[in-house]
Amino acid sequence: MTRYIIRRLLWGVLLLIVVSALTFLFFRVFPTADPAKLRAGRLQSPKIIAEIRHGLGLDKPLITQFWLYMKGIFLHFDLGYSYYSSASVKSLIFNRLPATLSLTLGAVIVWLLVGVPVGIISAIKRRSLLDRAAMGTALVFVSAPVFWLGLISLYLFASDIGRVHVFPGANSYVGLTADPLKWFTSLILPWLVLAATTAAIYARLLRGSLIETMEEDYIRTARAKGLRERRVVLRHGVRSAINPIVTLLGIDIGVLLGGAVLTETVFNIPGIGRLNYQAITNSDFPIVQGTVLLAALFIVLANIVVDIAYAYLDPRVRYS
Amino acid sequence: MMKSLRMISLAALASAFALGLAACGSSKSSVSANSGLNVPQGVQTPASESQTCVKHGGTLNALDHGDYEHIDPGLSYYALDYEAVYATQRPLYSYKPNSFKEPVPDLAESAPQISSDAKTVTIHIRHGVHFSPPVNREVSAADVAYALDRGFNPGVPNPYVPTYFKSIEGASKAKGGAVPGIKAPDKYTLVIHLTEPAGAIVADALVLPLSAAVPEEYAKKYDAKSPSEYGNFQVATGPYMFKANGEHKVLGTGYQPGKSATLVRNPNWNASTDFRPACLDQINISIGGDPTVIGRQVLEGSNSVQNDAPTGSNVKLAYQKFRSQLEISPGAGDHYVALNNSHGPFTNVNLRKAFWAALNREAMNKARGGALVTNVMTHFMYPEIPGFEEAGGLTGPKVDYNEHPQGDTAVAEKYMKLAGYPGGKYTGAATLQVVGNNGAPGPEESEIANQALKNLGFKTKFNLVDQATMYSKYCGVVKENIDVCPTVGWISDFGDPQATLDVPFNGKGIITSGTNSNWGLVNHPAINNAMEAAAKVVGIEARAKAWANIDRELVAEAVAAPYDWDKQASIRASNVAGVGDLWNVGYWDYNFTSLK
Repeated sequence: MTRYIIRRLLWGVLLLIVVSALTFLFFRVFPTADPAKLRAGRLQSPKIIAEIRHGLGLDKPLITQFWLYMKGIFLHFDLGYSYYSSASVKSLIFNRLPATLSLTLGAVIVWLLVGVPVGIISAIKRRSLLDRAAMGTALVFVSAPVFWLGLISLYLFASDIGRVHVFPGANSYVGLTADPLKWFTSLILPWLVLAATTAAIYARLLRGSLIETMEEDYIRTARAKGLRERRVVLRHGVRSAINPIVTLLGIDIGVLLGGAVLTETVFNIPGIGRLNYQAITNSDFPIVQGTVLLAALFIVLANIVVDIAYAYLDPRVRYS
Repeated sequence: MMKSLRMISLAALASAFALGLAACGSSKSSVSANSGLNVPQGVQTPASESQTCVKHGGTLNALDHGDYEHIDPGLSYYALDYEAVYATQRPLYSYKPNSFKEPVPDLAESAPQISSDAKTVTIHIRHGVHFSPPVNREVSAADVAYALDRGFNPGVPNPYVPTYFKSIEGASKAKGGAVPGIKAPDKYTLVIHLTEPAGAIVADALVLPLSAAVPEEYAKKYDAKSPSEYGNFQVATGPYMFKANGEHKVLGTGYQPGKSATLVRNPNWNASTDFRPACLDQINISIGGDPTVIGRQVLEGSNSVQNDAPTGSNVKLAYQKFRSQLEISPGAGDHYVALNNSHGPFTNVNLRKAFWAALNREAMNKARGGALVTNVMTHFMYPEIPGFEEAGGLTGPKVDYNEHPQGDTAVAEKYMKLAGYPGGKYTGAATLQVVGNNGAPGPEESEIANQALKNLGFKTKFNLVDQATMYSKYCGVVKENIDVCPTVGWISDFGDPQATLDVPFNGKGIITSGTNSNWGLVNHPAINNAMEAAAKVVGIEARAKAWANIDRELVAEAVAAPYDWDKQASIRASNVAGVGDLWNVGYWDYNFTSLK
C-alpha cells in the first residue's frame, strides 16, 4: 500500500507539472489580452510597454519563464505576484482558501447527509410513491443550474431581499474565527444551494447502484442466513454500492476546493473561485496559474484518498 | 483607451432592458437640451442633487461588482478607482459633482496662470493641507512636483502622461527621477515649463489624480520597486484615507483585492481648506458578487449604494418601483462604429457616408437600453463637453447621411453610387473583417452593424471576442488592419474638447507598435493640422469653438459612424442622499454623499 501511495504521489507531481505547462501555454497561445499593454493603459509607447514587459518578466523566452516559475514553486513555494495589485499570489490564495474550504466541506456534509439516505430509501422502496417523489425532486435539482438556484434562494429566503426573511443573504460571509455563529448562519444558504444538485446526483446514482447490488447472489445468501434486512442493506448492499459515489466524491471535492465560482459569486463569498474568475478577466496570469495549480493539487490528493478508501470499503480491492 | 474600456464595459451592464422602458423615458420628462439629458420625472440627476450633507456621520456601505484597477493616484484611471482616489487624494484642481466644464482649485489655491506664449504654467499651492499619518506634515509644491515626476517613472506606468504631459521639458527623456521642466521654486509655487504652447491642455489635465501630492521622502523607497508599491502604503490628503495597519500598509487591511476596501476619516484633513463637505464617518466597500443581487440589496436595503453600473433588470426595477433612488447622468461617453480610414474599402469617404446612412442607430441604442440610458449620437463631441452645442447639439450637423437615425437606404444608395458602385451595392473583392465585443450588448450591436454592411453588398468575416481582446489584439493593433470595429467607445478624461477628439481621431497620434486608440486609423492631414492649431488655443469658449469646427470636419469626412451618447444609471438605498459625479460618468461621490 505504501509503495502504491508513493507511486500515486509521484504521478501526481508529474500531473501538476503538466497542468502548469498547459495553463501556461494556453494563456499565451490563444488570443487574450496582453498583460503588459493592459498594465500600461492607453497610448503607452512601445518603450514603456517593453519596460513593463521586462519588469513582469514577460520578455524572457517562454521556456525560461516557465522554468523560473516552476523553480519558484518547488524551491521557495513562491507563486509569483499579481500583475495588478502586486500582492503575493500565495498570500492571496491563502487569504481566500478558508472561505472555499468552509463552503466546500459544509456542502459535502449536506449532500452526503441528504443524497445517500435518499438514494438508499429510493432503492429499497423501489417504485413506491416515496421513490418516485424523491427521484422526481432529484431530477429537478439536477436540472437546475447552481447560479439560478442561488438567485432564487436569495430572492425567496435571504434576510435582506428575500420574500421570507430566513437566512443571511449575499455578502454576509464572515470568517470562522471572526464570528463562528455568523460564519455558520451566513453559509447555510450557500451550502444548501451548492449541495442541492450534487445530492440529487448522488441519490440517483446510489439508487441505481444499490438496486443492482441487491440483485447479487451474496445478498440473497445473506438474507438466507437470516440476517436482518437492515444489516443486509447497510453492511452488504450499501458498502458495495457506494463505490461509484466515493469516486465521484473525490472528484467533486477536488473540483470545489479549486473554487465554486458560481456559488461564490452569487453569495459574494471571497473564495478561490472568485479570485480565479477575476484574474482571468484581468489577464492576471500568476493568479490564474496559482489557482489552477491548487485545483489540480486538490483533485490529485482527493483521488488518492478515494483510492485508499476503496481498499477499506471493498475487501476485494487490494493494491500492490 | 483603458478608461474607455473599463467604463464602457460597466456601462454595458446597464443595458438590454425592456424596450417599453425606453419609450417611457421620453414621455413625461424633464428636459435639459444642453446636456442631452432627457429623464423621466422623479429620477435624480447630478444636477438635481443637493451638495450639502443631510446628516453628518454614519457608515456607507458601497457594493461593487468589480474591483479597483489601481488605487495609487499615479496609476488610477477608471471611474471605480476615481471614487476612492478622489475621496482620499486632492489633485490640484477638481470638479464639483454637477460640473464637467469648470474645475475649481483644490490643492491649488487659485486658477493656473498660463503664460502668454502658453509654454509656462504656474500654480500656487494652498496653505494648511496636511498628509495623513505617518507623514503628517504640510503639503508643499515639491510634493506635487514629485507626484508629477513619478508619472514618468517606468515603475508607475501612468496611462495618460504620454498624452497630456508629453510637452513638459525633459519629458521625452524622463526615465524616473526629477523632470527638468517641473520646478518648485518655493514651498507654495509650482512651475511647469513646456517645449510647445500646450499650456491649456496641461493646465486642464491637472484635474487628473496624478497631480495629487506624494511625499518623496516617504514614497521613494516604494517607488524604487517596479512596479511601484506606493499604492499599498499610500498616504492621503483628502477627507478620507484607506485604513492601514500598524506598519501603515493598506494592502491586506484597508484594501483586500477582490474582497473589500475601507475608507476612514483622515485625521489631518482640515475642512477649512476644502470645498467638500465630507459627511460620512466611514465607507465600507464590498468587492465582488453578482450585480443583480447587489442591485436588489441596494434598492431594498439601507445605508448602501451600488458603486458600479447596475444591471439592466435593476435599472428597470428602480425605474418602476424605486424611482427616487435612481440617478441618470449624462456625458457618460459614447459609442461608434470605427471604420478603417487608412486601409481597405472605407478609405473611400462615400462608402463611409453610405454606411453611416444605412446604419440603424435607433436599433443599436435599443440594444443598449433605449432612451433612458442613451441618446442617438449625431456627431463626435458629446453632451457636457464644452463645444457640444457649437458642434450641433443633440440634432447634430445637417447632412443627409445623419438625418434618419433608423437608417436610410435611399441615401445610402446615393453614396454607394458616388463611391463608384452604380448598382448601389458594393461589388468589390474585399471581404471586411469585423471584430466586435462579445459582452452584452456587443453581440446585438455588432450584428446590426454587420447586417447594415451586408445590405450594402459587403462580404464580411465576423468575429466577437471579449472586450479586452478586442482592443489589445485587434482594434487597437494597427497591423491587424481591422476594417470595422462596431463597438468601440470613448470617455473624455476631463471636460475639454481636445480630450474628447484628439486621441481617437488625430492621425498624428496613431501608434503603430504600441497600444493605439485611434481605432479607425483616422488620418486626414487637414484635420490633423486643425487639431494641432486648436490645441494651442487658450480659454474655455475659444477652445470650444475651435474644437467644434473640428467636430464638423470629422462629420464631413464621416470618419466613423456614431450611434450612442451614453447616460449612466446609478442606484442607492432610500436613506442615502447620494450625489453622483457628472465628471465621473455619474458614479457616487463619497465626499458629498450622506445618510438621511
